[in-house]
Amino acid sequence: MLLKNTYNEFIKILAKPRSYLGIGALTLLIGIILFAMKADGSSFISFVTSSFEQTLSFNGNILNGNLIAFIILQMLIVHIPLLVALVTGDLISGEAAMGTVRMLATKPISRTNIVLSKFIAGAVYTFVLTIWLGFLALIVAKWIFGTGDLIVLNSDGLVILKSDDILWRYGLSFLVAYLALLTISTLSICLSAFAENSIGPIVSTMAIIILFTIIGSLDVSVFDNIKPYLFTTHMASWRSFFEDPVPWGRIQESIVILLIHNVVLVSAAIYKFNKKDITS
Amino acid sequence: MKRTTLLLFMFLSVTCFSQDADAILNRVVDKINSVKDYSVDASIKADIPLIKILPVKATIYFKQKDKFKVVSKGIAILPKQGFTDVNSFLMKKNSYMAVDGGLKTVNDVKANLITVIPTNENSEFVLAKLWIDTKNDLILKSQITTRSSGTVTVDYSYGGEAEFGLPNQLVFDIDVKKFKLPKSVAADLNKTEKEKEKAKRNKDQKGTITIKLSNYKINKGITDAFFKEKN
Repeated sequence: MLLKNTYNEFIKILAKPRSYLGIGALTLLIGIILFAMKADGSSFISFVTSSFEQTLSFNGNILNGNLIAFIILQMLIVHIPLLVALVTGDLISGEAAMGTVRMLATKPISRTNIVLSKFIAGAVYTFVLTIWLGFLALIVAKWIFGTGDLIVLNSDGLVILKSDDILWRYGLSFLVAYLALLTISTLSICLSAFAENSIGPIVSTMAIIILFTIIGSLDVSVFDNIKPYLFTTHMASWRSFFEDPVPWGRIQESIVILLIHNVVLVSAAIYKFNKKDITS
Repeated sequence: MKRTTLLLFMFLSVTCFSQDADAILNRVVDKINSVKDYSVDASIKADIPLIKILPVKATIYFKQKDKFKVVSKGIAILPKQGFTDVNSFLMKKNSYMAVDGGLKTVNDVKANLITVIPTNENSEFVLAKLWIDTKNDLILKSQITTRSSGTVTVDYSYGGEAEFGLPNQLVFDIDVKKFKLPKSVAADLNKTEKEKEKAKRNKDQKGTITIKLSNYKINKGITDAFFKEKN
């Protein structure tokens, strides 16, 4: 019954025009980035390497598909949560707003399973979005710009990774990026269980992301104890796979914190939906 | 009278030293001039704070006077100064004056220290110190100061191609104090302050680039168009 209901939920997602808005927006954004990089990518690179170039010269194909994929991921991972929340934010509250939630509750399925099926459908949609991002960022970029070593700038300096040592890093980083986006999906569905309209959970999700990101980026010691527990702090941990050596301990910590967020948010949504007095 | 004699003595000694230095440099330049073009396989190992890179294999192409190209499968880091530009500068004999700094020892080999000062005050080169093995007319060490890149020290080792003045190993000392990371790009949200501090401390170190050169192909003829081709 859970699977059947999940299938129904996914059909509902597919029937909404806004579900395609996310994929369309992603395609357009990546298309613009690819065009910009093709037109004037060298100036973007010189911004990164300029302080080294007085003394050193960088030879080889620097502007390659691997670097473009990294730039796209870095640029878009901040904006994709909006596209996820746009769809998943009204999975429960949308039913309440349309008045179909009461009919849903009369089905021979527990309320817990109704909420779980919505979470699974949301997770599948987020997965499709992540796969599409990966396809455009990595495969299309490599097709246009070719392959090559990856030059990554982080706070330790420049890390240059060999082209044959990159694919597994992208594979794992997409998985962690998916887990981060899944947390956004779970958060918006959880907020959706508390709301009666579609816009509220979407706006609230974005407000929470903005608030946590600002707290995380403020170099003020008063927030030092909170920062490690904010899910936004761990949304960028996909980047850690491009360090040398890979900080496995830190990535593990990020995965655990994101998973805890998911479990807590799903539990809160199930609890709220089970206690909900459905009158509409 | 005493003062005039002293001044005359000083003038004569500087002139004599300068002539010696010019003769030494001329012999080195003649050797360099015997190579019209070459290609060589290079193994580049960069050990520079703030940059993590594995050793890279590349092929380096050079053609007189200043055509230079590096072909590599991956990204190769080379020093901007001190590779071929010293030779190119030395070939313009009218653009500098040379002063002999006396005998020194470099890696147990006796060498004459020649200081090269550009005559044009707007020259990119500010000063070059060359330790030259006068027995074999080879540059053993150079210290080049330029306006844009600061000072770069290079140690030369020679093998089978010493007769052409071509080294089989170059070790560059790079000053990394100038390196700064753009903050907006380098922002790592999940990095602790301790880790960021550790990265900052590394900034005051010196870096080295070691280039091992092998399989020289000398004077085989490389077209000018080759240097314009994209890798």
